[in-house]
Amino acid sequence: MNFLKSLFVSVVVLVLVGCGTTIVKVDGDQVVNGRMRVSLSEAWNKVTPAGGNQPYEVWTQEGMALDQLRLWAALPAGSNLVAPPKNVPSGQTAPRVPTFTAGMQPDQLVNLFEVLYAIDGSMVSIGKVEPTVFAGERGVRFEFAVTRKLDGVQLSGVGWAAVRKNELYAASFVAPRLAFFPRLAPKVERVVQSALIQG
Amino acid sequence: MQRFARPSLDTDEGGLWAMMDREETRLRRSPFLLRDKALTQYVQDLACRLGGDHCPDIRVHIVRTPLFNANMAPNGMMQVWTGLLLRVENEAQLAAVLGHEIGHYLERHSTERMRDAKSRLAFAQFMGLFGVVGALGQLGVLAGAFAFSREHETRADRLGMQLMQRAGYEGQQAAQVWENLLGELKITGGEDVGKRSPMMATHPPVETRRSDLLQLAGEGGGKLGVAEFRSVTAAHRMDWLQDEIKRGQFEESLVLFNRMLAAQPEDAQALFARGEIFRQRAGAADLPKSLADLTASVAQEAAPVQAYRSLGLVHRQLSDTTQANQAFEKYLSLAPDASDANLIKNYISGATL
Repeated sequence: MNFLKSLFVSVVVLVLVGCGTTIVKVDGDQVVNGRMRVSLSEAWNKVTPAGGNQPYEVWTQEGMALDQLRLWAALPAGSNLVAPPKNVPSGQTAPRVPTFTAGMQPDQLVNLFEVLYAIDGSMVSIGKVEPTVFAGERGVRFEFAVTRKLDGVQLSGVGWAAVRKNELYAASFVAPRLAFFPRLAPKVERVVQSALIQG
Repeated sequence: MQRFARPSLDTDEGGLWAMMDREETRLRRSPFLLRDKALTQYVQDLACRLGGDHCPDIRVHIVRTPLFNANMAPNGMMQVWTGLLLRVENEAQLAAVLGHEIGHYLERHSTERMRDAKSRLAFAQFMGLFGVVGALGQLGVLAGAFAFSREHETRADRLGMQLMQRAGYEGQQAAQVWENLLGELKITGGEDVGKRSPMMATHPPVETRRSDLLQLAGEGGGKLGVAEFRSVTAAHRMDWLQDEIKRGQFEESLVLFNRMLAAQPEDAQALFARGEIFRQRAGAADLPKSLADLTASVAQEAAPVQAYRSLGLVHRQLSDTTQANQAFEKYLSLAPDASDANLIKNYISGATL
């Protein structure tokens, strides 16, 4: 009974009818892909879309349409940052998706995320780019703006990326430029500041 | 041909117009709408010359999206995407595409298509092509070119040819549009893509369409309008090239940029764009190619400032610190407030990631 109670209290699983998306409450210490530990001072919602085979975790505070924090940990060289589309017409090959390769420089890592957010036809412009430390490694921090193709909403974004032993560790966050981003960005900064590579 | 009266709201066609009116209201507010009066007026004037008596009913909107697409809704709303403007080489090719869309409009194909749609999903997919969003990812570079039936496409090709030739343009340019697109289509569609439709088995193969258009065009010459087209699009071209690069479809972009450079080998913007694609793709043989293109770009008087940045990054990857720093210094002198200035200064200082 205790097990059921703690499961009920600590994990809220919503199975959205018709799409199979699951949302789980995450809190305290979390480990992304078994390799990057983050300490959460407040709860987030971890979202796994239907058939979720993405190489990153996605967390949100207010819902996927409003804010998304994506986290990559120990992504090996040669891996895609996002799964290629499945519904490719017969006889066609899938379009390219951004791929992390060994030896990428900070500017090239930023390019990966620029393409990642522009891939659906959204307009992306990269803002301030500067060296930083992420997950205990020297890396790059970048700011960006997205005009979302789906609905024209103006989003602000921020990202971090670092490479260790030819594996990519990264985080990126987007939310509507007005109200949501200014309110949520400090929470994201706290998550990112706590990130540490394991092993 | 007589102008169309607005259909009554209690008819299916009236309902379609009302939906398109709402979409147009949305489009007018969209951040994707390119608000350049001169460019919009230029395309509007061209559409008017093609549309003749229907000119007062045609309203052109330029939409900033890096895919080849134009469409015309039954209420007269015409969308022209910037990926199309980047790809056509002259006014005659633009006239060919707009003439084709006006052909669909004159024959009210969208109304027929609406009545043919067998399901809500089919109708939604068809309607989606007229929205600001369009059916993006799935259709790739040729977004929206397969909204209509084979018969509709053939008729629109014929009508489009008549309209462009009546307006004084060289008809062969309509076939050239497909010829140019074929190279890009082969990247995801394979070498034999021209022998079939890249999207729908019911549609005429690209090669058939191209040869049919050549036959329709006949021998007659006509205006190309190269200078006018380049002049009116010049202010936006660098943005559109960068939008194309951000698609991340390196091989398709290389086909496009190779074509641009075959026409104008000293085109500083296209040299930058191709060099940047090679730099970002970073395959085994890409860096020397990138270096050659970017070096050629900065040798031009009209070199874009971004070419110096990219050149510095390539030199850095090739461990040529002196040349890298020279290019970076030039970049920072031309763009002192660049958003990545701190990163570039970090590179100049010799720090490593």
